[in-house]
Amino acid sequence: MAEQIIFYILALVIAVFSIMAVTSKKVIRSATYLLFVLLATAGLFLMLNYYYLFAVQVTVYAGGVMILFIMAIFLTHKPGDEFKTKMNWKVKSSAILSVLGLLLSGYIVVANVTRIINYVSGKEMKMQELGVTMMGTEKYQFLLPFEAMSVLLLACIIGAIMIARKEKNNVESNNDLDK
Amino acid sequence: MDNTSLFVVVLLTGLALVILGLTAAILLSPKSINFQKGETYECGLPTRGTSWMQFRVGYYLYAILFLMFDVETIFLFPWATVVRQLGTSGFISVLIFVVILGLGLAYAWRKGVLKWT
Repeated sequence: MAEQIIFYILALVIAVFSIMAVTSKKVIRSATYLLFVLLATAGLFLMLNYYYLFAVQVTVYAGGVMILFIMAIFLTHKPGDEFKTKMNWKVKSSAILSVLGLLLSGYIVVANVTRIINYVSGKEMKMQELGVTMMGTEKYQFLLPFEAMSVLLLACIIGAIMIARKEKNNVESNNDLDK
Repeated sequence: MDNTSLFVVVLLTGLALVILGLTAAILLSPKSINFQKGETYECGLPTRGTSWMQFRVGYYLYAILFLMFDVETIFLFPWATVVRQLGTSGFISVLIFVVILGLGLAYAWRKGVLKWT
């Protein structure tokens, strides 16, 4: 009973703030509403006893990705107050598309509901098991992908720096523009 | 009292405390409405321009670096719970992981991303 109440509160928070994030005209407010959605999703993971996913959701999504979003917003010139949906047909067609998508995904969920229940056992996934699985070299253990992840992250860092930062001789003029 | 009703009582008490506090503040606080009250306050001087300005790209690069090492932390987290059980071999694998990512930091340092001018 208590769990159900918490679930419905979280579901309400997710639904309401998702809609507010999309409909808000101010872009920083949209980002803040999105943060609430991500935190409520973390709460759902906690209810399922998925502690690792909870930690990932809070640190990476609510922490890191949100900071990246906000920094990207700060990079823009205008706050977007004058944003208006002039293209009415665009709104209509995207509304139709999203309803179709909702129907499709709803059909898939309803058709496979028995299998989904098997996957979501509610059993606690221990962090220790995850650690052993991630670091082991036996069958069904993932040391090599773990190390490959670091190479992927390295590529992300270098790529981001390459794209965001111009070469030395352009730096001066670039800084002038920023001021 | 069983768990559920205890939960409901705690929930309702929490809500009531917040609502009571806010209502009391609204009822008891003195009210004054004038134009200056809603203005942006900046050392008592009239503000110039809007508060919106374009930030430098340096902030964004810091944010990206933060995100990358954030993700690194989350991968180290499961290992940290079994660090004694895995012993030296686990430590060496993590060391390789950290060193490869450290190359990224070294690259950023070399390219002057960390310099704040």
